[in-house]
Amino acid sequence: MTDKREITLTVNGTERTVEAEPRKLLVHAIREDLDLTGTHIGCDTGNCGACTVLKDGEPIKSCLTFAVQADGSEIMTVEGMEDLPEASGELHPLQEGFREEHGLQCGYCTPGMIMSGKALLDETPDPEEDEIREAISGNLCRCTGYQNIVKSIEYAADELNKEPAAADGGTVTAEQRFADDDFDCGVEDCCGGPSTETPHVEGADPQFDDVGGDDT
Amino acid sequence: MKAASFEHHEPTTVEEAVSLLESLDEPTILAGGQSLVPMLRFRLARPDTVIDINGIDSLEYLHEEDGYLRIGALARHADVEDTDVIADRYGSFADAAPLIADPQIRNQGTVVGSMAQADPKGDWGSVLIAHDGEVTARGPDGERTIPVDELFLLPYDTSLMDDELLTEARVPAPVEGEGSAYHKLKRKTGDYAMAGVAARLVLDDDGRIEDAGIGMTAVDITNARAADAEAHLEGERPSADLFEEAGELAAEASNPESDEHGDAGYKERMVDVLTQRALGDAAERAGAVKRRVPQ
Repeated sequence: MTDKREITLTVNGTERTVEAEPRKLLVHAIREDLDLTGTHIGCDTGNCGACTVLKDGEPIKSCLTFAVQADGSEIMTVEGMEDLPEASGELHPLQEGFREEHGLQCGYCTPGMIMSGKALLDETPDPEEDEIREAISGNLCRCTGYQNIVKSIEYAADELNKEPAAADGGTVTAEQRFADDDFDCGVEDCCGGPSTETPHVEGADPQFDDVGGDDT
Repeated sequence: MKAASFEHHEPTTVEEAVSLLESLDEPTILAGGQSLVPMLRFRLARPDTVIDINGIDSLEYLHEEDGYLRIGALARHADVEDTDVIADRYGSFADAAPLIADPQIRNQGTVVGSMAQADPKGDWGSVLIAHDGEVTARGPDGERTIPVDELFLLPYDTSLMDDELLTEARVPAPVEGEGSAYHKLKRKTGDYAMAGVAARLVLDDDGRIEDAGIGMTAVDITNARAADAEAHLEGERPSADLFEEAGELAAEASNPESDEHGDAGYKERMVDVLTQRALGDAAERAGAVKRRVPQ
């Protein structure tokens, strides 16, 4: 056994140090030392992409990298998604997309898919379908047949492109958005959205009516 | 822990790396690690020491300089995809890069590391053969240049000495009337080539082939040159018939093995077809089509 050494990683915006032998894989440092188990180990051979994380903004397979190789770099894992400004403290539009479009079944590949999707949308905010398929070509899914994963990423692209731009061209932060009294994020009991206290109005949304929904 | 334990060295200069190579007992060099890390973690390789060259900033480059496209030892496959001069002038490189493995692996793996790995299924060896490329090795006695045809000896074996570090791969910058291409057959994304062919053509003012280069992937014990096909092309005008003949000569020069992806005869036919397609694209990029149509 060789000596452990201190490795400094900025993980999801927070500086963390790990004491690890040089032979420790990055994915093990992330899961076992930092307790961030959202990053999965699937095939353990570098094929499946479940262990995909962003290293300095680029997707890599954390099972094909030693932790020492990431010393000093910025790592982003799926746990960091909800802390991004565009998530507004809720699910990130990409995560929302996987929920809305049924982009997962067993969910094992999902963290890797989301990180590959994130890297794509950072570079290409409005991707074509073949660009999405290329971006996730290093991520295997055995449940969905990929179609709904593509739709999930398209959903996120649409949502992110809808985000109002700030005056300086950047994305509006949550504080800026909520400073506007008239803002409505659409979520119940939030930012002026519909309240659960609101009485049900028959016909307003057929899926909630006594008669209607799938029958109509 | 997956890998056997090893000592990890992180030189920051080429000189430091070379002196480590000289003083340590059978060290292994780690660059992108996309082949080495799996070998270590499955304990197919158990070196006592690993020299991690990722901290040598002077090896991070990919540019044209002094008449060559120069690829430093830390240039990643993704860098080849993202470099404008390659998209504009080096068709074979631009074709090959996005066909390697998958996006995550291309962000880590290096061109020069792939050359040092000397996997006969690696793509870059064939591209360098088609371009008459060479590599630079740095050892205790200084630098030496190795033409790509003298680099690969056997699968995973090169003519590099134990105390030498591969620092650069380079090919001559294209001349007027030059075009190149790479075609690869693989079952799915992420797979190695079942067969691959890189082709480069230089046309003279008269539209005749002045120089030709053809490198083949995964159909011999190393990346291989189709010398007879090259010779057959030189001095001739590009045509479908000529490329068919060259394809047959390349197939004859190949020596594939039967495996689960196809038998040897099938792969030879694929070499034939891929050679014709690569030559067709190279000729078009060299301006052959424009020349054939009267102005």
